[in-house]
Amino acid sequence: MIHVYGVVEGLRELPPVAGVAGAPLRRRRVEGLELVVSDGPDAEVTQAAVLEHAEVVEGLMSRSAAVLPAQFGRPFGDEDDLAAAIRPKAAELSRGLEHVRGCVEFGLRVVGPTETPEASSGTEYMRARLEQERALAKIDEPLAKLSRASSERAYLVPADNAEAFRRAVHRLQVEHPELTIVCTGPWPPYSFGAEGA
Amino acid sequence: MSAPTLQHQVTLLELVDRVLNKGVVLSGDITLSVADVDLVYVGLRVLLSSVATLEEQNAQAIAQEGLR
Repeated sequence: MIHVYGVVEGLRELPPVAGVAGAPLRRRRVEGLELVVSDGPDAEVTQAAVLEHAEVVEGLMSRSAAVLPAQFGRPFGDEDDLAAAIRPKAAELSRGLEHVRGCVEFGLRVVGPTETPEASSGTEYMRARLEQERALAKIDEPLAKLSRASSERAYLVPADNAEAFRRAVHRLQVEHPELTIVCTGPWPPYSFGAEGA
Repeated sequence: MSAPTLQHQVTLLELVDRVLNKGVVLSGDITLSVADVDLVYVGLRVLLSSVATLEEQNAQAIAQEGLR
């Protein structure tokens, strides 16, 4: 089976790590796109395999102009299968690369002030939910300004804005002590691969 | 729940969620079953050490912010 880690653009060199189950990485060009893959038996979903996949994608991000991480657990039988799957998606993938070029992803989880509203009535529950929505909207606006795109709980941030983004999150946490804001990243742009479609 | 613990758990979930559920889908075949994914979620505590790097970066960023 062929395990795909991602579609890359301007990859300077393969990261010095092995792929899933210790398989060596290799570069594969299909329809003008470059993929990074490894060969081996169908990868089982284990903690090691998920981590290995993530490490390769992380390594690709720091060595390329753009990377579209591939979803884990979708291997190809052979080179022909791979080429047949990529061909109709080539234009979409090129647009996806353009969309994420120069960007990193930050994840954001916001907890509180009433994460699980203990409501005695439907009205109270709805009011608590509304308060949460308002709190989240206040958080979202300044962060969206620093981002190229955002999806539910994820922001696509130009690398040049990464520090400003972290500072903005920190500032929001100070301004909203009633909320617990947890920011993770910078991640490879896992959540924005389909945006070029 | 203390803040560092929450940060750990959220980072862990975010990593697993990204690798398994996000990312561009190149083929139509998927080999994961829902049961498999549940097992991964339960078993991934080992990843905590690997995400520590990300958290250090975050901590450094906040520390730098404090100096400005």
